[in-house]
Amino acid sequence: MFEALFYLLIFPGGFFLVLVGLGFEWLDRKLLALFQRRVGPPWYQPLADLIKLFSKEDLLPKGGNELVATLLPLISLCAVLVAGLYVPIAGFTPYSFEGDLIVILFLMSVPTLAYYLAGIISIGIYSILGGGRSLLQYFSYEVPFLIALSGPAVLARSWSIEGILTAQFTLGSFVLFQPLGFILALVGLIGKLKRDPLDIPSAKSEVVGGSLTEFSGGKLGFWHLAMNIQAVVGIFLIINLFLGWTKLANPFVAILVFFLEFLVIVGMLSSASAIFARLRIDQLAGLGWRILVPLSLAQILFVILMGV
Amino acid sequence: MSKISIPIGPQHPLLKEPLSMKIDISGEKVLGGSLRLGYVHRGIERLAQKRNYVQTIHLVERVCGICSHIHTTTFCQAVESLLKLEVPPRAQYLRALMCELERIHSHLLWLGILAKHVGLDTIFMHTWHDRELALDVMEEITGGRVLHGANQIGGVRFDLDESHFPMIYANLEKLRSQISGLLDILENEPALIARTKGVAPVSQKTIRQYGVAGPVARASGVDVDMRRDNPLPPYDQLKFSVVTMPDGDAWARTIVRAEEIRESLNLCEMILEDLPDGEVSKRAPRNVPEGEVIIRSEAPRGELFYYLRSDGTDQPARLKIRTPTLAALCLLPVQMSDIQVADIPVVLAGVDLCVACADR
Amino acid sequence: MDKVNFEVLREQIDSLVGSKCEVYDAIGNDDALIIPSERLMDVVALIDQIFDGAHLTTITAQQRAGQHNLIELMYHFYQKFAFTIIVRLPAEAPSIASILSILPGADFYEREVAEMFGVKFTGRTETPPLLLPDDWDQGPPFIRKEVIDE
Repeated sequence: MFEALFYLLIFPGGFFLVLVGLGFEWLDRKLLALFQRRVGPPWYQPLADLIKLFSKEDLLPKGGNELVATLLPLISLCAVLVAGLYVPIAGFTPYSFEGDLIVILFLMSVPTLAYYLAGIISIGIYSILGGGRSLLQYFSYEVPFLIALSGPAVLARSWSIEGILTAQFTLGSFVLFQPLGFILALVGLIGKLKRDPLDIPSAKSEVVGGSLTEFSGGKLGFWHLAMNIQAVVGIFLIINLFLGWTKLANPFVAILVFFLEFLVIVGMLSSASAIFARLRIDQLAGLGWRILVPLSLAQILFVILMGV
Repeated sequence: MSKISIPIGPQHPLLKEPLSMKIDISGEKVLGGSLRLGYVHRGIERLAQKRNYVQTIHLVERVCGICSHIHTTTFCQAVESLLKLEVPPRAQYLRALMCELERIHSHLLWLGILAKHVGLDTIFMHTWHDRELALDVMEEITGGRVLHGANQIGGVRFDLDESHFPMIYANLEKLRSQISGLLDILENEPALIARTKGVAPVSQKTIRQYGVAGPVARASGVDVDMRRDNPLPPYDQLKFSVVTMPDGDAWARTIVRAEEIRESLNLCEMILEDLPDGEVSKRAPRNVPEGEVIIRSEAPRGELFYYLRSDGTDQPARLKIRTPTLAALCLLPVQMSDIQVADIPVVLAGVDLCVACADR
Repeated sequence: MDKVNFEVLREQIDSLVGSKCEVYDAIGNDDALIIPSERLMDVVALIDQIFDGAHLTTITAQQRAGQHNLIELMYHFYQKFAFTIIVRLPAEAPSIASILSILPGADFYEREVAEMFGVKFTGRTETPPLLLPDDWDQGPPFIRKEVIDE
């Protein structure tokens, strides 16, 4: 019982994920600043922002549903924290079962739907626009994302992440067999996290803040936390599915390898953020269905044939 | 989908200055919009009637922060025309130098804003970093980055000597290399082209009907530039080319302004090379004889128009300013029909708003 | 400034109006012509036609010292050369035709003249204020005699 609580609250859930989430935000902002010839924030900035948000006044426009508005970020946070329990960190996961990949993908979609609902229930016009766009974006990237993530499962003949990780130890890093799937998974992750260049639902110049325009104070703090942890869990997922090599005998080497892979992926995400311009929603829909879906289908076909 | 009306402004991340727009949209399609100005109306024309000419120079400088120098230059030229005062050539060249530097910094500012609205934050950071080079030069020679206080009736209030030149040339060189890199990106970056090409094209006929001049007109192929068509010295002795593009969409406006930065850099170097010697100002009498005059000049945003009437005293009897942004704002509701919501920032940025100019 | 073209324009306007229009040459850098106010629409249509689209820069309104019974409206054009068309209106109830149907770009300028000088533009559906706040109730700021004579 205490073991379960430890796993849930300290490591690899709860506290550990919050720390890594804040660390990810700092790393991302610092890398972006370096790309833009700026200095960037000091290491404690994300923590300071979080504390500041929790100490601010918490308002909602008249007519907004206070209970639902508070529950939505909390539900998102819980969903991603639970998802974090099943993703192996440096090869270690307390719970793992056949099919946990599907569960995690479902849990990772909860924040997206919560974001859409948050936009609808805050009465402001920008929130509604942002919420609608987020759902439209969801339909454009989710299908290629799911197909791309099924590739490693097919190759490893297992639907548990731990099983996929073990299979890479014998077969080699899956990124070598399906580099296209890797890229597609990264693009899907950028869309899920609503980062530049796919931050269409919260494009500042068009819809001010998207769904979260009217949120403030503690609720916004929970949203930020949930989004950071969602990013971290997503990156861990991709590391385990494509890069692997972290289920090693020596735990220190495993941690080091895991950390390096984490840095590589964060670097790729930040570069994409810095380099590309924001797409329009119709351009994203076109990109998603006309280019990404056929590519992902081609990749999975290749993987299936290879497995045979 | 039903029609809803979203307000943009007076405070909105899109706008540098307060402006109120109501845009009707249906889904992601924009149907039209209407404007309301006046949030920064300070009544400068009315205030000018109660101040003497020297005070009016300082008043007019504060019409706009970004293009402050061209306002004072045009006003001083108007007064000097009424006084029949011949400004020394060195002062004319120095005024033109500041005008071109201002054009560079204004266009770089604008490029950053456009990039930010399209989502290219990196270009925004880089262009504003480069803008500091131009602002540093302006500060070095006049002491002010945004409001310079450089002009007086009869000439300018600053002078260049040998010690200024190395720093100015170094900054211009650095700017030149940065601009060619920037132009390369603007012409080839696929995401930027996808967001701006074909967006809100404006025909030449519409441009003429709405009385728009400046980069927006030149992007539609209208070949008009007050520096060449209505030249006041020293522009009649300087060689430069006027950039036009045929399409008239947002991308054409981007390219026109970016190329103009290059032309302005050339002009700056030409001015520095040909700088004549002599004094920088002439003493002007306090009372201006009766008369009226119209001066048109090329502000960074288009055609700037000044009408000045004096009645023999030391206070202007009527000062009328028409800034280029006012005409461009008239064009905005026309451009707003038949675009998407995501194109609104691109269209607004293409107009290069300076609402303080429009409101006066 | 190009005297030849201005002469051609002036002849055409004279023949349109039916009488010789007074040339007002006190403005440096611009040629100006005074026309009767009721012929404004025809003259503007003619200008638009001759130049294949006329570029209206702005509309200036003013009252001259000693002539407080008149409001003078100046329509400044720029089309290869600069020229101005002047109309004079009585100050009690100034009203003139709106040229919006020919030049849609005149919208903002007419609105500003209307709110600052109290000139009524006929032929427009509405003339909302442009620069003054919505709760301004002190009348046109430029026209009050006591304000100008200060």
